Amino acid sequence: MVLKNLNDLRRLVNGSSRRRLVLAAAQDQHSLGAIIRAWKADIIEPIFVGDKAGIIDVCTSNNYDITGLRIIDEPNTEMAIETAVRMVSSKQADILMKGKVGTAPLLKAALNKDWGLRTGNLLSHIALFEVSTYHKVIAVTDVAMNIAPTLKEKIAILNNSVSCLNHLGYVMPKVAVLGAVEMVNENMSATLDAALLSKMNQRDQIKNCIVDGPLAFDNAVSLESAKFKGIKSEVAGDTDLLLMPDIEVGNVLYKSLVFFAKAKVASIILGAVVPIVLTSRSDSEQAKFDSILLAAAACK
Amino acid sequence: MIEHLDQIEEKVLTLGRKFRIAVACAQDSNTIGAVHKAVDKGFAEAILIGKSSEITSVCKSDSFNKTQYTIVEADNETKASQEAVRLVKSGDADIVMKGLVGTDKLLKAVMDKEYGIMIPGAVLSYVAALEIPAYHKLLFITDTAVIPFPDLDQKIAMAKYAIEMAVRFGIMRPKVALISASEKMSRHFENSNDYAIMCKMADRGQIKDCIMDGPLDLFLACDKASLSVKNVSTPVDGDADILLFPSLESSNPFYKGMMLFAHGELAGLLRGTGKPVIVMSRNESEKSKYYSIALSCLMA
Repeated sequence: MVLKNLNDLRRLVNGSSRRRLVLAAAQDQHSLGAIIRAWKADIIEPIFVGDKAGIIDVCTSNNYDITGLRIIDEPNTEMAIETAVRMVSSKQADILMKGKVGTAPLLKAALNKDWGLRTGNLLSHIALFEVSTYHKVIAVTDVAMNIAPTLKEKIAILNNSVSCLNHLGYVMPKVAVLGAVEMVNENMSATLDAALLSKMNQRDQIKNCIVDGPLAFDNAVSLESAKFKGIKSEVAGDTDLLLMPDIEVGNVLYKSLVFFAKAKVASIILGAVVPIVLTSRSDSEQAKFDSILLAAAACK
Repeated sequence: MIEHLDQIEEKVLTLGRKFRIAVACAQDSNTIGAVHKAVDKGFAEAILIGKSSEITSVCKSDSFNKTQYTIVEADNETKASQEAVRLVKSGDADIVMKGLVGTDKLLKAVMDKEYGIMIPGAVLSYVAALEIPAYHKLLFITDTAVIPFPDLDQKIAMAKYAIEMAVRFGIMRPKVALISASEKMSRHFENSNDYAIMCKMADRGQIKDCIMDGPLDLFLACDKASLSVKNVSTPVDGDADILLFPSLESSNPFYKGMMLFAHGELAGLLRGTGKPVIVMSRNESEKSKYYSIALSCLMA
């Protein structure tokens, strides 16, 4: 079952008990609005860790009614992060979300060897886009975390994303490994890695998905374009997941989808014990809400 | 379609012409014997280059009629090689054949930038058609003679040469198996990366007119029963027409093993030259030498 739009994620969380989301350094005006909305929609049960006075202050000035919600008072930001992460590793929470704190200290805590959220897998970012010009949701990885992944890292990124999509109901997601061209070109290393990933998939060394690449962006998402170029591929024109060659391509694609194509987006970090929501201040409240929804749907 | 090596001469005879073979250092009864058979069959003329007194005595002792041949005096290996190449380059002969001369000396003349007969920029390689009673059809193998450790570009050239020869035999879309020790992609076998890249190039039409898969081990390449045992599906389907080996150290013992232990015969030819060059090792049977002469005429 593939997602037609991001709202389809609701079906995946309906009926299951609310996921407990812990917000680290919760005195954050940029995430509280989306969290309250997700709580009211029965998607999550928020737990706030941070400066209690600050949290109440933000809620009061925005008219957020947080009666009955659990607040753990920890004014020290570093301690707030540690407390939030420890709640997840001790299974008192199902989702970790970044509040008023930098990405680096949060991830550092998440990767702590003693009480962090390591699984042994690489952490990677997945973003799901709802674009009016594509016939279904399209997932993209990695547009925000791994800068210039090696082949080995691409395999890890792919495995993280495929396992997430499998969990969301995609039995055999179609993965396009993106290049500037669909031909193998010895001067473009992305096309060579793409060929290796395809073969590993054929040999069942990358499982539970169909991988083809290199594919150029146009033939990855347009059957017409693929036909025009005479490409025989199960993936071309019907891609569920795009694997980016590096963060620069990925990040520009992500932002052009959002700004030019007015795409809706939901994104989370994969590879830790639980999904991590790492939205940035510039994300819309809708994007934050959809990311929380995705995290809830992605919970094991 | 040519299904047995002895059908090559039939096909050559249908071409209705005599191919002029320039033999460098022809004072060798084994070589003259093979050439004599081709002359006898009516599809070849021979120009015997070398020490004329020795050539005459070989003809005499083997009771070949030396008046059937043009004999050209050359008193050493280098001069004989240069003369053979010169004759072909000037159009006075069609094919160069190695007699009692070191391969390196002959190839030096063939590859000479000014006086040689290489196709500019072409990879020099070698393709052999093997007939092995234990296999259900001819098996083309490359490279058993020239390139010790082919890189990706050389492997691509080798595949194209072998495909071209198989097609000339009437095998449309030959099945090409890229041979390794296992079908899995592995960082321990660097060739598997080249193989994956080549497969994708075949997918994308960058290597044409073939069905290609690899890495494959020899069982998966040539034995259908192994596919179900190993639960591997491959378009080569245990029915390979062409085996591409990763190194001379693997290909050369393979073909010699087939000759020694499996009653194999072969027809082999250098590729990458503008005109055919027959290079045989002295241990080759007279039958194989004759097949190679016929093959060179077919490919001329």
